[in-house]
Amino acid sequence: MPRHGILPAGTARLLAFAALVFILGAAFTAVEPRFLSTQNISAVTRHMAANGLAALGLTLVVIVRKFDLSFAGTACFSAMTIGYMIAGGHDLWLCIMVGVLAAAVVGAFNGMAISYFGLPDIVTTIATGSIAGGLAFLYSQGRTIFQNFVTSGILDLNDARLFGYSVSFFFLIALYAVAWVFMHRTRYGASFYATGENPVSAYFSGVPVRTYTMMAFVICAVTSVFAVVLILAESGTADTNKGATLLMPAYAGVFLGAALLGGTSVLATLAGTLLITMLLDGFSLLGVPYYYSDGVVSAILLTGVVLFDARVRQLFSDLASFIQPVTSASEKRS
Amino acid sequence: MTDVISTHAVAERRHSKAINRIIGRYWLVATLLVMIAVFAFLRPQLLDSSNIATILRSSALMAIMILGLTWVIAAGKIDVSFMQIAALGNMTTAWLLASGSGWTLAAICGVAVGAVAGLLNGTLIAILGIPALIVTIASGGICASIAAALGKGTSIRIADAGLLGDLLFTNWGPVPVIAVIAALFYLISWYAQEKLTFGHYIFAMAQNEKAVNEAGIAARSLLLFLFVLSGICSAIAGVLLAASLSSGQPMIGSSYFIDGLTAVLLGGLMLRIGKPNVLGTTTAILLLSVLVSGSAMFGWADYQRQIIKGVLLLVGVAVAMQFGHRSSSPMQGA
Amino acid sequence: MTVPALCAKAVSKRFGRINALDDVDFVLEKGEVHALLGVNGAGKSTFIKILSGVYVKDKGVIEVDGREIDCHNPKDAIRCGIATVQQHPELVADFTGYENIFLGRESARASFLSGIDRSVLKRRGDELLSRFPVEIDLSRRIEDMSAVEREIIAILQAIAGDHIRILILDEPTSTLTEVEKEVLFRLMNTLRASGISILYITHRLEEVMEIADRFSVFRGGRMISTMTPQQVRDKNLSLAELMLGETLGAVFPEKAEPAQLGELVLDVRNLRHQRLFSNVSFQLRRGEILGVFGLVGSGIDELSKVLYGALATDAGSVELNGREVSPKSPAEALKAGIFLVPGDRRVEGLSLQQSSIFNITLANLGRASSFAGFLKRSANRRKSEEFAARVTLSPANVTMPVSGFSGGNQQKIVVAKGLFADADVYIFVEPTVGVDIGARAKLYGLMRELAKTSGVIVMSTDCDEAHGISDRAFALYKGRQVVPVDRVFTRNELLMAGIMGDATHA
Repeated sequence: MPRHGILPAGTARLLAFAALVFILGAAFTAVEPRFLSTQNISAVTRHMAANGLAALGLTLVVIVRKFDLSFAGTACFSAMTIGYMIAGGHDLWLCIMVGVLAAAVVGAFNGMAISYFGLPDIVTTIATGSIAGGLAFLYSQGRTIFQNFVTSGILDLNDARLFGYSVSFFFLIALYAVAWVFMHRTRYGASFYATGENPVSAYFSGVPVRTYTMMAFVICAVTSVFAVVLILAESGTADTNKGATLLMPAYAGVFLGAALLGGTSVLATLAGTLLITMLLDGFSLLGVPYYYSDGVVSAILLTGVVLFDARVRQLFSDLASFIQPVTSASEKRS
Repeated sequence: MTDVISTHAVAERRHSKAINRIIGRYWLVATLLVMIAVFAFLRPQLLDSSNIATILRSSALMAIMILGLTWVIAAGKIDVSFMQIAALGNMTTAWLLASGSGWTLAAICGVAVGAVAGLLNGTLIAILGIPALIVTIASGGICASIAAALGKGTSIRIADAGLLGDLLFTNWGPVPVIAVIAALFYLISWYAQEKLTFGHYIFAMAQNEKAVNEAGIAARSLLLFLFVLSGICSAIAGVLLAASLSSGQPMIGSSYFIDGLTAVLLGGLMLRIGKPNVLGTTTAILLLSVLVSGSAMFGWADYQRQIIKGVLLLVGVAVAMQFGHRSSSPMQGA
Repeated sequence: MTVPALCAKAVSKRFGRINALDDVDFVLEKGEVHALLGVNGAGKSTFIKILSGVYVKDKGVIEVDGREIDCHNPKDAIRCGIATVQQHPELVADFTGYENIFLGRESARASFLSGIDRSVLKRRGDELLSRFPVEIDLSRRIEDMSAVEREIIAILQAIAGDHIRILILDEPTSTLTEVEKEVLFRLMNTLRASGISILYITHRLEEVMEIADRFSVFRGGRMISTMTPQQVRDKNLSLAELMLGETLGAVFPEKAEPAQLGELVLDVRNLRHQRLFSNVSFQLRRGEILGVFGLVGSGIDELSKVLYGALATDAGSVELNGREVSPKSPAEALKAGIFLVPGDRRVEGLSLQQSSIFNITLANLGRASSFAGFLKRSANRRKSEEFAARVTLSPANVTMPVSGFSGGNQQKIVVAKGLFADADVYIFVEPTVGVDIGARAKLYGLMRELAKTSGVIVMSTDCDEAHGISDRAFALYKGRQVVPVDRVFTRNELLMAGIMGDATHA
């Protein structure tokens, strides 16, 4: 399982990560110079926004030591809700609000079932995700919704620029900054971590663990709506599978980040997402067909998790201990 | 010694447990029978021999696909890659046929890639101890990617369904031969589960993996074997689907995902409460097939069935938690 | 001259720069019960882990029945006739006793594909059981069994393998009641009579005198001496001092003078929780420590949790500082001014992977943060360091994960957490389980210090503790409160009250 908190070696890991990004960037640039073009960097930042937003909420769920497999389905449902509202000619912000609310309801349902009724997280969220995915069909019997999209102003979310970069990227950075302060500098973040690490001890310390677990699922659902709004803005239409592509990059971002930086945290997820997005973008720039993207992300996730897994590193240190007998602290304690 | 524990409370707990046990045991069979009766009353054509054959054939394919999954979940782990492995087996077979090899080689290779995928899952989960959900999400992504890549993103047509095709569509009365074969598989599996140490250890492992290890049982090898078996079962189903549909479909598995998990978990409500087992899985598969067939006769859309299945899964898990042991909750933190 | 069952010569083991075991010579005779004593880190755990094949020794020779053995894993050790029962034996909760005893040995040459015949298991289990004077229904499932029954199952499982000559028990009595302990000792006596040698670790010194034929004291990775209980009695030695290697001051601090007692802080009347306890009434003043003695299952654990809001009351009232409170959750109890130092600190008291600062501040995040919930990081660190110094945390490092501390120091962190929570009433449950004798005295001192400004309740299954630390004490016997006729119980009266429900037998 992922560990968290900033380890003493945190700075070293951060530097190693920066070096990795640099090397990767250099490698892509060497093969395809367009990688560093303004146009491409702008595209990277835009893609990063959607992936990063979905991963942010998942980070909280993983911090409370649960899994959420429903947010992709929930995002589909929200996308169609927003599309339906836009087609109905409502104000854009109202549409997004309703979409967020719809997702929050699903998230709250997950949270209730898991924290208050003790249902297993994985199965419950698979079920709710499937139900939400089915509900997405209700508005239009599965047909694409595109009416009023041009006039609603949602496309501006995609086109708006600040200092030459997409506004969505700045939104991402702002939200991550807020999340970082919230998770690592406030009592609420401490309570999230305490809930995940040892719910019994947290409960005995006066932390309302069930509320925090539930909130993690609600936030996860809500941030996936933010992500899907960006996807809607980019494509200009609402489909029943608009959120389905969020699942894999989000998981990869969270767990790759946790593996790289030594624990699940807001910063780790941002790092993981950056790496994943760079890779995806680089490969697509090199002309690798779209259907490889999931495979690439998966392979990187698996490699990252395996290479940085505590047990695997233990294996290496065990090998090293043949040369010079040093036993890890964990063995002494056991 | 007996006065040390409050005998009264224990007796009371046992009594209510016994009632729960009976409800848990027969709830699912009763539901199946009621469902058949209701559908048959409203739509008598449900019991036409051709319809029965269709139900049994789809059930048989499903049953083969999730035989291994049943035990993986029974052992307290999770495998969400099974449908992508089926898709990979399916596409591998189709691709080999399209490139001119015979059915025997194509089918063997189709099954072999499933075994390799299962071996990958098993090694990472059982030997390295990496969380099963992360591993199988990632390996599923890789399998899906390769499957799609084999067909360059689209399906592959198979000119001749070969012997397997004949086998699939041969019926003995209303009973397809493939259903008889699947039933035979399940009979053997039931024997292994109930009468051999194999099944005994699987259920022990779900409860307390450490205890199994300390008893000197090669729990890791057993778990590794279960994942390989799950991969092989999924791939066999994939190969059969290639013959059945006369094509390789890269997205073939997705519709089986929720059905498979629902069947295994609902099946866990039967006989061994809260524990997936092969007889329970069989019953649950039949239940889902009857539901699909019956609801098709009412003209319900696909997404409506998806919602119903999701609800069924939720209810199933809730009931399992209610009547089962809390300690043996399937897949919690898998 | 007979060959000893086990003989270790000059066994050493290093972890990094630490000499965990230094040149240990040790002899275990055939058919003896041999206790291993020592404070945490003395090397006794390392020693039995080497014997049971968990660790591999760096140097030295180990002989079983005169033949040198070389174990690299627990399986090797079992093959050499050495079986181990862990402190918390791992059993399959919803399997029966039979199924657990023979787990992995269902048939002569068990593989994954060998058949399993429950009637054969039953016959073999009954056969095994018939050799021992314990009554236990092996067809019941582990989850329905009591602690001692589980321990018996674990022992039967360990010796079910053929030719087990040496049985290692790691703190087998730590979770057992006085009555249950006798059952275990009967079993141990029978095993001894049948020629099996038993090596066992315990922190309860009075047991050593009762059951052990000989005992060995470990200190600082060395084996200091091997003696018999008779020698201890003859020379009037103190086991605790042998373990510590220094003369021990009084373990328990001075009791409070009546003049030091402050105002009434807690007034509990007729408290009840389901069938587990009823009609519990007591008063607590600032400046005093109230002891509560009760066996496992007597209701002390539930009583502490009701007071702390983790369990609901059915009847009765609790007044704190003159105001009626009825906390519905620990959060409310903390707000009202009650802090619980829970019995199972690793599960209930600490986030093991987090730092001491994180843990110390967790129970009072309101104090740890300013407006809008921002954590006061430097102030929290300062406070944590201050409290760490007050509880003499060692090493005095508030940023390292608490999993790196010893049991005693982890308990000190929980106490520091209580200091930060700034409560009026502190409830300690089993405060010194798994804490060695050296750290114990320190913890008792801390309780006394806490009691200077607050009320302290100490609930324990250890009568000496409940009596020794407290100014007043009562017992819980099967959920019934037994109070002294005079103002205070003597130690023996309290013991009788707790295990018989009646103090007059003393």
